[in-house]
Amino acid sequence: MGLFSRQKKTVASDADALQQGLLTFDNVNDALAGERTLLAHNYDVSLVAPPQHLRTGCDLALAISNIEHIGAQRALEQEGVVVRAWYDDTAGQYQPISLVTTEDLGEWTMVRAGNMKITYEKSSGLIVNTSGGGCPDIPYLNLELVGKSLADAPRPKELGYTLCGLMLDRAFCEAHYLFDGKAARS
Amino acid sequence: MKMLVVATYPQDKGPTLLDKARFSIPEKSVYIGEKRLKNAQGITALLGAAYQAASSDESAEIYALLGGDIGKGDGTRAVYKDFKKAVNQIQPDIIVFHYMQPIMALMKQAMKDLDELEFENPLLVADAGGMYAAKAAGVAHRFELMTPDIGEIGFLAEENVPHPAYVSHFLFGTEDFEPLAMAQKAYRHNSAARVLLIKGATDTIVVEGKLFATLSEPCLPVLEAIGGTGDTLTGLCAGIMLMGVSTADAALEACALNRKAGMLAQVNPSKHASDIIAHISR
Repeated sequence: MGLFSRQKKTVASDADALQQGLLTFDNVNDALAGERTLLAHNYDVSLVAPPQHLRTGCDLALAISNIEHIGAQRALEQEGVVVRAWYDDTAGQYQPISLVTTEDLGEWTMVRAGNMKITYEKSSGLIVNTSGGGCPDIPYLNLELVGKSLADAPRPKELGYTLCGLMLDRAFCEAHYLFDGKAARS
Repeated sequence: MKMLVVATYPQDKGPTLLDKARFSIPEKSVYIGEKRLKNAQGITALLGAAYQAASSDESAEIYALLGGDIGKGDGTRAVYKDFKKAVNQIQPDIIVFHYMQPIMALMKQAMKDLDELEFENPLLVADAGGMYAAKAAGVAHRFELMTPDIGEIGFLAEENVPHPAYVSHFLFGTEDFEPLAMAQKAYRHNSAARVLLIKGATDTIVVEGKLFATLSEPCLPVLEAIGGTGDTLTGLCAGIMLMGVSTADAALEACALNRKAGMLAQVNPSKHASDIIAHISR
């Protein structure tokens, strides 16, 4: 039995598709290397055939929980596996919310991005709190960010692993921009 | 009565813990057995508040099954692996699912584990990742209580959305936002618990799709900025339920106690959940 007949699956069922997104690659070798790498990092991944509109030659993609793709993409980058693109769901329907709002709290400003919030002291840029979210990297990011200045703190995207971490990164970037007007907004 | 809280704590490769939980007021810290957890938003806020709420009842016991997890999902998987054994060992009256990687298949398996219990099924409470997993797995209707904030109620209301990050803008707590309408929509879709406590500037309690109560005083807008104040509210509610109070009444009392504790702690955005927990008394 050949490699593809053994491993290739159809794009996930409806129920799975709600939970999974797709990592696409430029060639089959990269897709296979991606699978090996992510399995070694204990991610649940499966090789799938991408839907027709996402195909550009390589007919293998990796389906992985869209909650976990931030950490997974970082693991691939660290191992030198080149990803062509990430799609938030297998049908291309969903994208993370881009709505960012701010709240003036006197000496402090709170920035909301989706379900995540970051609050900093206006005079110093000190991060005094993070709140919201429900994934396990959020309490960890709370420990890593609170008490640091926006200028010195690591970006949540560099430490986090989940969609909640990604939303906190958006709030962080907006807060950084509001504080010094220089940082990139996303 | 006994409660089991199933969650993660923010320590990479931290061991899986199963023991009684308590809150030390002088240290403003949560202990699981002899292990002191680092204060952060999340599980320490929930456990501390639950302990304080139930501390006057000597028969109330709070246990925690926690895995070390910083977002990789390893601690979450470890917790689910031990879930059935822990439930059989403790035989809790209430189970709370909290900060965990929202893995649909594992939540479904946990429900199957509960179906096989040889004692009465516990009341189920979900917040944070536990709530995300329950909704995405299609088992939300099995839960007695969920405690979404204004962003998360839109997530429960919008069918087929797997995470609050994907919620449509128009559902996201913006102007003309109607938490009751969102709750009713979620309930119709079987994406809600029997009781919903929607946390916000106005706390809204909805029972089986009908408004039970709202509370907006004392008004403390800064609570939203303080990491863990939603967790303390969930913990308070679960702790009061542990003392035999009905879920809706417990939710309303929890809202009042959380606001009162915030006021006593003289909160500002630089305070932390542990400051508030120290002021909780029932």
